[in-house]
Amino acid sequence: MAVPVTGAGQRGATMAVTGPGGQPAERVRPVSARHFVRLKLRVMGNNFRGQGWRIAMFVGGMIAGLWFAATGFFLLAAPGLADEPTYALMAAAFGGGLLVLGWLLLPLVFFGVDETLDPARFALLPLSRRTLVTGLFAAALVSVPAVAALIATGGLVLTSGLLGGAAAALVAAVGVVAGLLLCVAASRAMTSAFATMLRSRRVRDLAAVLLAVLAALLGPLQIVVVAAVQQADWDRLTGVARVVGWTPFGAPWTVGIDVAEGRAWAVPVKLLITALTIGALLWWWSRSLESAMVGAASGGRIRVRGGGAKVRGGAAKTGGGAAVGGAAVGGAAAGGAAGAVSGAVGQLFPKAVGWARRDRFGALVARECRYWWRDARRRANLITIAVVGIFVPVMVNFGGASFSTGEGMEFAAPDSSPVLVSISMVFVGLLASVTLANQFGFDGSAYAANVVAGVPGRLELRARMAAFSVYVLPMLAVVTVILGMLLGRPAWLGVMAGSLLATYGAGLAISAFVSVLGAYSLPETSNPFAMNSGAGVAKSFLTLLSMLGTAVASVPMVVAAALLGDAWLWLATPLGLAYGLGAALLGAYLAGDVLDRRAPELLTAVTPRR
Amino acid sequence: MTDEHSALALRGLAKRFDGKVAVAGVDLDVPAGSFYGLLGPNGAGKTTTLSMAVGLLRPDAGGAWVLGHDVWTDPVRAKQLLGVMPDGVRLFDRLSGAELLAYHGLLRGMDPAVVDQRAAELLDVLALGDAGRTLVVDYSAGMKKKIGLACALLHGPRLLVLDEPFEAVDPVSAALIRDILHRYVVGGGTVIFSSHVMEVVERLCSHVAILAEGTIKRVGTLDEVRGDRSLEDVFVEVVGGRTATGEELAWLSR
Repeated sequence: MAVPVTGAGQRGATMAVTGPGGQPAERVRPVSARHFVRLKLRVMGNNFRGQGWRIAMFVGGMIAGLWFAATGFFLLAAPGLADEPTYALMAAAFGGGLLVLGWLLLPLVFFGVDETLDPARFALLPLSRRTLVTGLFAAALVSVPAVAALIATGGLVLTSGLLGGAAAALVAAVGVVAGLLLCVAASRAMTSAFATMLRSRRVRDLAAVLLAVLAALLGPLQIVVVAAVQQADWDRLTGVARVVGWTPFGAPWTVGIDVAEGRAWAVPVKLLITALTIGALLWWWSRSLESAMVGAASGGRIRVRGGGAKVRGGAAKTGGGAAVGGAAVGGAAAGGAAGAVSGAVGQLFPKAVGWARRDRFGALVARECRYWWRDARRRANLITIAVVGIFVPVMVNFGGASFSTGEGMEFAAPDSSPVLVSISMVFVGLLASVTLANQFGFDGSAYAANVVAGVPGRLELRARMAAFSVYVLPMLAVVTVILGMLLGRPAWLGVMAGSLLATYGAGLAISAFVSVLGAYSLPETSNPFAMNSGAGVAKSFLTLLSMLGTAVASVPMVVAAALLGDAWLWLATPLGLAYGLGAALLGAYLAGDVLDRRAPELLTAVTPRR
Repeated sequence: MTDEHSALALRGLAKRFDGKVAVAGVDLDVPAGSFYGLLGPNGAGKTTTLSMAVGLLRPDAGGAWVLGHDVWTDPVRAKQLLGVMPDGVRLFDRLSGAELLAYHGLLRGMDPAVVDQRAAELLDVLALGDAGRTLVVDYSAGMKKKIGLACALLHGPRLLVLDEPFEAVDPVSAALIRDILHRYVVGGGTVIFSSHVMEVVERLCSHVAILAEGTIKRVGTLDEVRGDRSLEDVFVEVVGGRTATGEELAWLSR
């Protein structure tokens, strides 16, 4: 990845600094956004070279993007096609607003930022901040999501055209383009600002929790919205839509409708609002960009808690380290060192796995446990499991109630059933186990240590499952109990635990296979949101594959819940436990064999290309 | 097939990446008790060769033997005898130095008490004890090299394979690493390391191999390879470096 970037970057530098030939005082050719776009396309193209599966991934991503684009297009075009002007404003304001919100939040939580053009790589080039921002901005527009969003919001142009004629369509088109610029600018500014803030570990923790909670809340929020829509009086919603239309979230999307509904005077004002917002976002982005460029190399500093570790300033990176390395050659430090070191083995094992034996298996479990906590990426996954794991079952089991009765969000009489509960638990188990689908990718090239030590594959996989379960099983237990209490059906606890354990175990087995056979590398960076271009698609494919397999494997539990009636209430837990444990062990056994044969290939797959 | 006295034997090792040849058939015998320097310019295939020799990268052809044990068919035995410090590979760096050593020791099936004792000793000798519970990710480049060396030494291997052990290391740490390696060889161990720093190789090594464009160009004892010239002269000649005539890059001097 670095090679094409540097190469092309140098080309850019040559263009900017020296120009052609060796004449003194030559003309400096200006760098424009065009160069950045071309650079991005070149980097993307080079990434595909000789990598058939990457092309396949990309095509898959494009198909997914097109599918979303088409769905969005027809949703937004529906009011026009159906000639329902009442809904036109709402579709534009709410649909567009959701789109902006999605661009703001989703990159932070799920998909990561496309770091194809990493700002830090431009730090040494003589580029003005303005050139850099416009260039990177233009490059950011060249992406599948941006094109998909453009197509989807094209539906608004159609609606405006059908309702208000060509002039409205034209204005809507301008608005849609402006809206897309707003989306991209918002997403870039947000992630860049976060990446800067997230240098400190404490902020990073906090942000991960907040964002995970926020993202998880989107689900319940949806229920509220749907419930509200079902019984709401349309006038009030139209009023809300009108207000949203005057905020940056809705302004660019509603201008076409405004023309169609005879409020042409609103157009310049709304476009001005949009332009000002974009300007402000770009300014914010350029500010954080600068600090990202300067400080990107130093990255986050992570320290073990306690143990007398003092936080050094960021600048002490090499100097302080060298001083520590050099000063202590004499025996003077031996006493202090011995104090800190007493029981290296004891230090490795966290309290939670104090039970583990001090052998290979124990060491693997202990190291994994440490990593689930200390690696920001892994911890973000744990938080997602915790939050989504609670909200989704609540949503499924109570959402049904609110849909059928139309009584809103009253928790009094949920009409759930053992089958529905089983299914929601299957989902939670699935979500938890799928986290391991790229477990070796988390390690990156560090996995070489295990290859060199010749760790048997079965041991490796069993240890990883055990360490993950140390965190996940208590969480799942809490989820089960909370849901049981909310439902007011303690008798169902057995069914819930059984389905959960069975799915989790089967999911671990399938993830073991996927993680060995379909591993891919994650970028080695301190930014927990960073992700290689294309990896996002790869990730969703692998996740989908694991989820599908796990869902199939958990069908027996749901069928049993449907067929066996009351007897199942008692049988579910022991049978589910046996099924899950058996599946996990079998998975580790079989996949471990594959791992033994493929360890070097796996290492190559998870080592980031440099 | 392999010489019983070789600590490491490579036969016809070859590897291509995306159709580009990285290593084109390397044969090498590292005698037991030798201090072996693998020299080569950037991109010569040093890292690729050593990765294939220790079982980190599967060769397209050829094999590797550690003290007679095939790395690819009898990996368990071969890897027990082997201590490796790869270059450009992360350690499990979200552990502290002591934790990392404990992990490596237990992974090698060592007794916990022995691990504790050796880890303390290594941290002390390598002057890493002061780092306390600092995570390895926050270590300086030199400290990372030293903890990597400690991990490779911990289980008392018979053969040490080190990829660029002196890269980005300050003189004090480099001297320390040199001393430890020297003592290890005197004590009966065998070291092979890659480098492109001539003085270090000239000072330390008993044997030298020059690798360029994926093949071994010169091999033998240090004296055999350099003859009566300096190692650097031989190296530049073998690798085919060009000397600037002074005509090009004229615009630099202005």
